[in-house]
Amino acid sequence: MSDNILEVRDLRKTYHKKGGGDFEAVRGISFDVPRGEVFGFLGPNGAGKSTTISMLTTQLEATGGQILLDGRSVTDDPVGARAEIGVVAQHNNLDRGLTARENLIFHARYFGMSRRDANAKADEYLEKFGLANRQNDYVRSYSGGMAQRLKIARAMMHTPKILFLDEPTTGLDPNYREILWREMLNLNREAGTTIFLTTHYMEEPERLARHMVIVNHGQIVAKGTSPELKALVPTSTIVTMRLSRQNEEILHKAETLPDVSHAKLQGGAVALYINASKPNFDELFRWTESLGVTVNDISLKQTTLDDVFVYLTGKGMNQDD
Amino acid sequence: MTSEKDIRTQEATARERRVTRQVFLAMVQRDLLIQARDIWEFVFRVAMLPFILILTYGYVLPTLGVLPESFPSQMFAGMVGMSMLITGIHGTAVPFTMDFNNLHEIEDRLLAPVSSTVVALAKMLVGIIESFVGGLIVLPISLLFMGSRINVTMGLGDVPALIGILVLISLASATLGLLVGTIIKPTQIAAMFPGFLMPVVFLGAIFFSWQSLSAIPVLQAIVLVNPLVYANEALRAVMTPQIAHMPLVWSVAGLVAAIVLMGGFGFRRFHRMVVGAQK
Repeated sequence: MSDNILEVRDLRKTYHKKGGGDFEAVRGISFDVPRGEVFGFLGPNGAGKSTTISMLTTQLEATGGQILLDGRSVTDDPVGARAEIGVVAQHNNLDRGLTARENLIFHARYFGMSRRDANAKADEYLEKFGLANRQNDYVRSYSGGMAQRLKIARAMMHTPKILFLDEPTTGLDPNYREILWREMLNLNREAGTTIFLTTHYMEEPERLARHMVIVNHGQIVAKGTSPELKALVPTSTIVTMRLSRQNEEILHKAETLPDVSHAKLQGGAVALYINASKPNFDELFRWTESLGVTVNDISLKQTTLDDVFVYLTGKGMNQDD
Repeated sequence: MTSEKDIRTQEATARERRVTRQVFLAMVQRDLLIQARDIWEFVFRVAMLPFILILTYGYVLPTLGVLPESFPSQMFAGMVGMSMLITGIHGTAVPFTMDFNNLHEIEDRLLAPVSSTVVALAKMLVGIIESFVGGLIVLPISLLFMGSRINVTMGLGDVPALIGILVLISLASATLGLLVGTIIKPTQIAAMFPGFLMPVVFLGAIFFSWQSLSAIPVLQAIVLVNPLVYANEALRAVMTPQIAHMPLVWSVAGLVAAIVLMGGFGFRRFHRMVVGAQK
């Protein structure tokens, strides 16, 4: 048995535009998803994340490339692949004419589970996801957070080997995001389900995923663990200071300080990119004193995946082209 | 001698078949449950068109002397055919386009570990069942308003032929429903009635037999693309054979051709929608 639950090689998707010409949404991406891990698939909106997930989950035909799920080709046997995967779509695709409980039971029946197993598992998951007291309500009356939890419970009903989550926390308030992630991590730990997560919230994979890839314009720009990705950025710490006087001259002088790789004006403050995990604050304050400026505000930040993305692509994760 | 491997393969195939059957039935059950929860909407949708047509053309106009007394017999077969076809088309096409486009509800079923054809077949079976209900609903309405004026001359021996024709009509309605469902968008449903169903109904040989259209040869040729013509002519041949009708072989051939053609196009479009379109 391979250590990878999913192996993707040179995956491509090209759309033929109506007026002629092609649009390459995914341009030959390759990566492996280790078994039993939470895997992050990151990129800004429009990077090709949803297109990729649609191909991985048999919902969209690939133009080229290979997808191996547990060693078996997804394109050759989409029916077999579907038995092993759970999919939580970005949009609400729950069955609105059915109650929450019926959503779970019908899903289980679609996956060939017996009526008895379907009922038992529905009870278990309604309880686990905190939906038991609303189980007989139609899902059209559900709030966004409840619908999201039900979607995840539904995708888990047939015990998939890998669960695809496409931007699962978009539009949820921070409270619900926390609850959701706690539940997801429990499932990952208890059932050993591999979780394939796409998101443009960088703090989520940073906390949850071990391996991740970053995509932009349909291509992979980086892959690795969080520390590996952060190592791509030459600095590890950013000190941001709001000074009483901020100009080019100060930036130039800042760059002559030891450990400061570069300095720039960022968001109305001076940002110093420092090649050390702990900046020497005594030295920094002596420096500002010597310049005769006062420090109105100071903050320290470790490099985040967002910074990695900015470093690699020249733009922010939530910033359009 | 059968090897152990063969037995294992056979067992796997048998299990796959059992699962496919279960999934198919669960999908049909889901659609029927949703429909049953809206039973009055269903009854209203299915009964209203035959009711108003039978009331006007089968009762009011013959009673006023505008239409001949024999007219109800002329239109009876047509009412059954129309109701079956329209109900089946509606029952397949509308939920299909809604599930696919607006609500994405069908995604859960498309992710089931069965061929996506099973999803389409389940939708079609629901259309077929609704189509039969549509045909049955015509009977009490017809008896109420045109009872004494209908002259059905079929005998018991014709029942198997009638059942065969009803099955073909319901199949045609479901295949046409699948095709229409893959073509129209939810925003176009309102336009479907005047733009598509009305011409099918009024040029569907309900109020006149196809033979009598020989007075307008161009129209007689054009309406041959309308599957309702074959449906009604086949029913006329079995239920009211005293009225001029297309030879049964032709009308049955027309129905079969419609099923094959529309089914072929419908399934092709369906499969393209399933794996080709970016949502």
